[in-house]
Amino acid sequence: MSFLLAVCFIFGIGPPEAVKACDRPNDAGKCILLSWKLSPDDAGLKSYDIVRTDAFGKDTVVGSVPSGIGSFTDESVRDNVRYTYRVVARQDSLRAESVASGIAVSRAQWFNKARVNVLVALVIFSFLVFYFIRHARAGRKLFIRRIAGLDAVEEAVGRATEMGRPILYVPGLAGISQISTIAALNILSEVAKKTAKYGTDLLVPNRDPIVYTVALEMVKEAYTEVGRPDMFKKENVFFVSDNQFAYAAAVDGMMVREKPATNFFMGMFWAESLILAETGAATGAVQIAGTDSVHQLPFFITACDHTLIGEELYAASAYLSRDPLLLGSLKGQDWGKVVILAVLVAGSILLVLSGIKGLSFLHVIYSFFNIS
Amino acid sequence: MMKQGIPRLLCLVAGIVMIVQFFIPHPISEKIFSESLRWVRIISAFALVLGVRSITVHHGTRIIRKSSGWGYSLVALVAMVVTAVIGLFGGVDPHATALLPTSIGGFSFHLQVLYANLMVPLGATMFSILAFYMASAAYRSFRARNKEATVLLVAAFIVMIGMVPIGSAIWPKLPDIAQWLLNVPSMAAKRGILFGIALGSVATSLKIILGIERGWLGGGK
Amino acid sequence: MKIGEILGKIDRRIVFGFMAIVVIVPFFFPLNVTGKVAPPSQQLFDAVEEIQPDSKPLLISIDFDPQSMPELYPMLKAILRHAFSRNVRVCMMALWVTGVGLGEAALNEVAPEYGKVHGKDYVYLGWKPGFAAVVLGMGKSIPETFPTDQYGTPLESIPMMRGVKNFRDIPYAISISAGDPGALTLWIPYVQSRFGQKLGTGMTAVSAADAYPYLQSGQLTGLLGGMKGAAEYEHLVAEAGYSEASKPATQAMDSQSMAHLAIILLIVLGNIGFILTKGRK
Repeated sequence: MSFLLAVCFIFGIGPPEAVKACDRPNDAGKCILLSWKLSPDDAGLKSYDIVRTDAFGKDTVVGSVPSGIGSFTDESVRDNVRYTYRVVARQDSLRAESVASGIAVSRAQWFNKARVNVLVALVIFSFLVFYFIRHARAGRKLFIRRIAGLDAVEEAVGRATEMGRPILYVPGLAGISQISTIAALNILSEVAKKTAKYGTDLLVPNRDPIVYTVALEMVKEAYTEVGRPDMFKKENVFFVSDNQFAYAAAVDGMMVREKPATNFFMGMFWAESLILAETGAATGAVQIAGTDSVHQLPFFITACDHTLIGEELYAASAYLSRDPLLLGSLKGQDWGKVVILAVLVAGSILLVLSGIKGLSFLHVIYSFFNIS
Repeated sequence: MMKQGIPRLLCLVAGIVMIVQFFIPHPISEKIFSESLRWVRIISAFALVLGVRSITVHHGTRIIRKSSGWGYSLVALVAMVVTAVIGLFGGVDPHATALLPTSIGGFSFHLQVLYANLMVPLGATMFSILAFYMASAAYRSFRARNKEATVLLVAAFIVMIGMVPIGSAIWPKLPDIAQWLLNVPSMAAKRGILFGIALGSVATSLKIILGIERGWLGGGK
Repeated sequence: MKIGEILGKIDRRIVFGFMAIVVIVPFFFPLNVTGKVAPPSQQLFDAVEEIQPDSKPLLISIDFDPQSMPELYPMLKAILRHAFSRNVRVCMMALWVTGVGLGEAALNEVAPEYGKVHGKDYVYLGWKPGFAAVVLGMGKSIPETFPTDQYGTPLESIPMMRGVKNFRDIPYAISISAGDPGALTLWIPYVQSRFGQKLGTGMTAVSAADAYPYLQSGQLTGLLGGMKGAAEYEHLVAEAGYSEASKPATQAMDSQSMAHLAIILLIVLGNIGFILTKGRK
């Protein structure tokens, strides 16, 4: 080793120093992170080779990085095996090897500490939701502001009944795993109860087969609940196509032929949103839309009479049913937003203050909010 | 119990397992996650059978009853069956040999050819309708009824002109202003809506997992 | 009928007809208006310029389907022309199964223009199911994730793929993306964040606005936004003398410019009609 160092000294290549090896935190194992101080002659080097020694003393070159880089991730290790590392600076035929690192052992972690902030947020938010659900269960009245789009549902159904024309309900184009689809189906249930009461036809074309089966059951159940199971028509809830534009073309055709008095567009939409909404507007229908897709909101706002924006769609089932449990959770959701606002303001202040000399320790607090 | 109790219990267990999984990086946890995704993909594939049944019943009923436009239902059913047969027996790889020959002379009716020459142009046609609908929707609704609508109108003009080459020909600074409008006020509003959506999603998910929201089960108490 | 009412209630068929004329006419009478090249497009061009010729390949991922072709296919061809004219090798893959044919078509169209040969100058890996699993697998080993190319040739026997093990051997990756899975949902969180891969993207105009925060944070090096981004890239490639091929996106931008002006005109007419009828009332 001292001979090598002497050679390096004579020919002017300094070895990398302070090689540190440690288990990568918060991972599934099989990974060791390496870092080192660059060689003093880094500018003229070709690369750094990373040499790993296992518990049996066997050396393996596990990788190479160009000069200027002082870190490496070794993902070819086995868990619970002790390794040491050396970093070799190379310049043509010259080599300068570092002192070996300390022992590193890779292990899989059972808890991702970097996500503690998410866990804290989840606990706080869940607490708020459960607190207000208890509030609601205890009989306390909870105020919810008017949502014009949802107030218009009753009127829209009434209009269709008077005109003797059906109502078209599009539950979005996403699958059942999307929250917006579930929210849309909850609204469908309330709309179906109203159409059952008034004896109006309800057409529900679906893009997803699973959503179709759930929608079918929900509409049937809604009609039964209101005491009008005889009015339920199975053929009015159907699957169309899982192709986006084939579905849009089919629904457009339905709007032009059946001329529904009211169109509901609730759920997740993509590029077909304006195609549906504008065709409906051309037929003179009253249109109520609700989506959490921010890209499609402008089209619905332009072409529809009422639009539920983002979370108003999720609030709909609570708003329409006035169920205390659902109202309570809505309240908890709102207070969650207050907490986020407070965190945003506090985080911004901390970020600005941490730029002041002497207060840089504040970055530890705001970096807690980083998600990884 | 069978209709609602067991699904709610499954939902509770699965929901809690997936929440906990997010915080555990261990390989066992990752295996549970990737296995769950595989199950979802397999179940989704089976759901297609339900969809085919629905289409067949829906259009078949219209044909039998000779409802208005039943001819189109006949076309839809024939197209579905023919495409399914070609796909199933003709294969999806045009270079591989299959049970059913998919060309007669130089005329090919392979699934890829049908897709490229029917589905793609039809999809492009539907997509292109957007250009016309945007014009008619903008003409109908962009009226300066009040102060806010006027601000919206001016912003829309700036962005529409700024985002095309003619904008920089009119005034070189216009694209920068248009980009600023998109990057700053528009992005800020979008982020605000996204915060609300994220919280709404979490709350709705919690309600579903804990059985407070039961509509997805198909209705009923 | 008073002028205000006429202007405020133009039949939609007239609107559609007017739009059709305004979009079609520039194809016969091009405007040839060249806009300013946006910095994100210039960034992507510069990143491809920095890749060493005849060395490690540029990775292009086809994350779109035929429905997004008008905006994204011209940018794909322009990038291929740029790469091939500089003798930069290209490794192409697809995360959308409906995009497989598009990637192949682009290579079959552009590669012969520069005398490029499959296996030596470019390789098409094709599509693999799994989205995140595919890119994470590539981070460990590309040959293990794609043992063969799209045509069944083992990767180890393809000359240009020798020595290309994982993302460390890819100087730059570009995702041409129309949605999910794509640059924002897959390449940035799984590839750029985890492996530090230098990444650029071409996206539809609607989604491009969402990519700006990643540009600002440095997670993306280069962004082509919609047809305008494609036209800008075509302009940069032609200006640098790399290609004299036709520029479909640039031609289409003439129509888009006219369409935007036409919509503005319609809005102005509608507002004039609105003001006149409101004034009368």
